[in-house]
Amino acid sequence: MASRADINAALGAEIQHQPVPRAGPVPKVAAPSKAARRPAPHRFKKPAVRGLRPAARWTYDESPALENGLSFRRWKKQTANSDSKPVDRFGRYNVKLDVPEYNDEIYAKHLTNPEWTKEETDSLFALYRECNGKWPVIIDHYSGSTERTMEDLKSRFYSISATILSINTPITSMTATDYGMYEMLNNFNAKQEASRKKLAEGHLYRRQNEVDEETVLLSELQRIMMNQATLDNEREELRRRLDHPIASNSYQYGTSQALTTFWQQLLAADRMKKNQRLRPTGNPTFDGMAGVASTSASRSSHAGLQDAARRNARESLPSAAAPQSGLSNELSKADLLRFGVVQSHEKLPSGVTFASDKLTKPRIAKSTVQTDKIAAILTHIGVPDLIALPTPPVVEQFESIMSKVHALIDLRKVAEKEEQELRVRSAEAAS
Amino acid sequence: MPAATSKRVRGTQVTRHFIIGNTACDLPAPGYPNPPPENHSKGWTVYIKPLPNGPDMCTWLKKVQFKLHHTYNDASRTIEAPGPFEVKETGYGEFGIEIRLYFAQEAGEKAVYREHYLVLAPYGSEEQQAKQKSQNLVVAERLETIEFNEPTIDFYKALTNEDQFNWLKVKQGQGKGKKPTYVFKGNADPTAQLPEKALENGKPAEGGLGAGGAWSSQFERQVLAQLQQSTAVLDQMLDEEKAMAEERRKKLAAVGATVGAAAK
Repeated sequence: MASRADINAALGAEIQHQPVPRAGPVPKVAAPSKAARRPAPHRFKKPAVRGLRPAARWTYDESPALENGLSFRRWKKQTANSDSKPVDRFGRYNVKLDVPEYNDEIYAKHLTNPEWTKEETDSLFALYRECNGKWPVIIDHYSGSTERTMEDLKSRFYSISATILSINTPITSMTATDYGMYEMLNNFNAKQEASRKKLAEGHLYRRQNEVDEETVLLSELQRIMMNQATLDNEREELRRRLDHPIASNSYQYGTSQALTTFWQQLLAADRMKKNQRLRPTGNPTFDGMAGVASTSASRSSHAGLQDAARRNARESLPSAAAPQSGLSNELSKADLLRFGVVQSHEKLPSGVTFASDKLTKPRIAKSTVQTDKIAAILTHIGVPDLIALPTPPVVEQFESIMSKVHALIDLRKVAEKEEQELRVRSAEAAS
Repeated sequence: MPAATSKRVRGTQVTRHFIIGNTACDLPAPGYPNPPPENHSKGWTVYIKPLPNGPDMCTWLKKVQFKLHHTYNDASRTIEAPGPFEVKETGYGEFGIEIRLYFAQEAGEKAVYREHYLVLAPYGSEEQQAKQKSQNLVVAERLETIEFNEPTIDFYKALTNEDQFNWLKVKQGQGKGKKPTYVFKGNADPTAQLPEKALENGKPAEGGLGAGGAWSSQFERQVLAQLQQSTAVLDQMLDEEKAMAEERRKKLAAVGATVGAAAK
């Protein structure tokens, strides 16, 4: 149902400022009768207040005279306070071109080129000046004796510009911007430029199916790259799960044959034991030598290996061994040192221990007398009560001292006994 | 705790050096209440701290309880990670402070006790004492090495994590739209080992009095040399003892012979 507001909206903003009674909430019963009363929607009703707006007044700015003697006026609407002085607002767009200049002498000395005559060069420069350096216009206007492409013109022009620049300011005394300019001019590569344009042109005139194909290919590439990350992650995870030992030269069971031999060795070793932990596979090709005779033969030939094999078997049996080896392999030797990790083959005490305990506990013996004796000796030889630095070498040194201290105490005990005996004996002898 | 996390890394020990010690000074001194409580003549701070270039302690240390002398108000002071694990007090007497170390959850270890005897008066050689007096600062600290034997796998991972050195990093570079990067500013790579040389402006190691900077392999060699000297003395004593034993045996033999002869 078209209300007045809708129509106004349709007619546009032009007439919207005229006072319009708002559609408002019309009672629902009244609405159909209103629509019926109106025969047709108003079409482009001219606003009643037309002509009330004052006519626009126009003034103009006189531009400063240009070089070629022309001048022009720039018209604009007059506003209330349009007493503004004529400002040359557009003067800054009147850019003057900096075209390199040369004379006959310089040309003869530096700028000669077998493909260009002086006249041609002169006309190129004149054209450049005239066309304000717009190359598409220049190539349009250029009419020389020989057919030339825009790239030819450009390379000629740029090389001359660079030469003149270097003549005016030697390269050694150029500022950074000058040198950048010089570099740019010198690096102009006509062939590359031409091929670039050709490529761009080809790109412009592509057919629809080619465009489509490219889009498809690009999206395909996109998809592959997206999946690459997840694929990599999955692979990494798989590898981690497998936790395969890194095959190195020291790993001697690389081939299946070697593995079979190894299995046979383990099996043979296991048979020697009371409680057998390995079961034969039942396949004679793998289990090999069923007889005792062949077992003994293999034992004699692999006596050394067998020990190692047995040890390996024992280590590899607990399931904890596999992930554990992975843990310690993760760190390099330097990192192990950095993080203070010590790999020990001795039996470690459980839980937390302090290195300094190794420096204090041995001082205390079971009896107070013994403890005092130890303390006396240590003080005598100048070992401080508190050693502030319990590093492994210090602990080792201290332990060697302690063993010597104990040896000394033992010796003294013996000495005491012997002296007693000596006294008794000598008394006996004297009597 | 699930069984998997309590699995231990066999045959592996992770060691961490840290410093237990205290500083003390005559009151009044900055940082301590002024005027000091009645009869209190010394201000002291007991602390546990990592090596200046070492890994973060909070990896393994969850909280520390310092048990002061029972005459103090609120005698057991507990400090939770991240610390600093230190207690500042004033007093007049020396006593042994019981320090209880609580370990991180994943370590699965019970808390352990260490003891530190509070040192307030200057000590050491006369020269050292004079220095301590002139600086009004007594530092008594020792290096402690904690050994985690066969840590749990989780704990082992935490102890070998590069993030432990993050506390040493300094924020650097705040380019627009860039995340600030954190870099090590010290001239030595951070490590859990003792540094080769004392780090803090080349302060020489002074018999365990150094304020953290003295803990170096250089100092370790000094201690070792001292112990070796002691060993040499001990060896000499052993030799003398052996010589005496030899002599006695000869005498005994002689006496025995005479006795034997007399018996005949």
